[in-house]
Amino acid sequence: MFHAFDTKTDGRALDRAQWMAVLARAPLALIEPALGAHAHAEPRWLRAPETGLVMVQGRAGGTGERFNVGEVTVTRCALRLADVGGAVGVAYVLGRSHRQAQLAAVADALMQDPERQAALNAQLLVPVQRHLAEQRAQRHARAQSSKVEFFTVARESGGADEEEGEE
Amino acid sequence: MNTQDLSKLGAGFSEAAIGSQSVFRAALQALSYPGRVTALPHDAQTPSHGHSASAALLLALLDPDCTLWLSPALAGSDAAAWLRFHTGCVLVDAAADAQFAWVAQGDECPPLEDFAMGSETYPDQSATCVIDVEAFESGTSRGWTLRGPGIAGSTALAVHGLPGNDPAAFAAQWSANNAAFPRGVDLFLVAPREIVGLPRTTRIDNPTTMEA
Repeated sequence: MFHAFDTKTDGRALDRAQWMAVLARAPLALIEPALGAHAHAEPRWLRAPETGLVMVQGRAGGTGERFNVGEVTVTRCALRLADVGGAVGVAYVLGRSHRQAQLAAVADALMQDPERQAALNAQLLVPVQRHLAEQRAQRHARAQSSKVEFFTVARESGGADEEEGEE
Repeated sequence: MNTQDLSKLGAGFSEAAIGSQSVFRAALQALSYPGRVTALPHDAQTPSHGHSASAALLLALLDPDCTLWLSPALAGSDAAAWLRFHTGCVLVDAAADAQFAWVAQGDECPPLEDFAMGSETYPDQSATCVIDVEAFESGTSRGWTLRGPGIAGSTALAVHGLPGNDPAAFAAQWSANNAAFPRGVDLFLVAPREIVGLPRTTRIDNPTTMEA
């Protein structure tokens, strides 16, 4: 669930692909309050939320041949907000939640307005990024607890046999 | 993956299933009664290029498995982006590769035999052409007399604004299309709000009567 999109941007503003990647993973509990009234406004749909399957491909070790990992459920939508100069928000979100896809698209449309960008960044993207980082840390810690250290007797350089021979 | 500017894009049918079914019903009606002018009501926010009825018709007919050829005025316009976005259809550059073709009013229409005509074994693999025209006049003596399956006796139809503004040349091409049966293309002639179906079985009796 962590991607190249999550690399630190050194304080620079996220570009659209980056904020869409963050919004796509934003839990409803974070995104809904941050959008305020926009979360309840009736959007003008370009493409109403629809759920379908997407084939995920992977590469063994990140470099090997591509293979099909399996299908995942994805919900997508596109909408237009009247009060942001007709900006179109698009969202592709894992899972079947139409509401989550809608709010991610609303946030995407709002983010395209330069005047709201900074505020939304602070209210929504930063908390979501923090939440994702926490999730990642927890998953990491859980995996760490099952880590097994294998101790092997490291052979000294030269090897014991040679040393014996020298004596 | 090509990105497209969505900011000017209109919505599709407000209810995808209901909207496309009612348009499909009208298209079926038009092909069942060749030469009859059929209204095509829809609520899609159609693009500015091309007739609104053609856009709605193609929106109902196309899906990601379909290939579409657009005449020069439509290729690269908002109509192409709109159909790509809503239907996922594949746009092709060669008319012969297309299962569907859309010719804007005033554009040259390639010769009908340049479109996919199907084969003797699979005549269904032929192209369906949507041609924008200016207007229809039915029941007039100045038009074509159409005969064939779906028409009781004959029906009269005048079409204004055919491609090239040359109804006689068009009718000649059409009789060549008839002669290739069972191969051949099927046509939808489309005025801004109405459509007329011309399946490959329909014959034009008096090709030279209609004035440009």
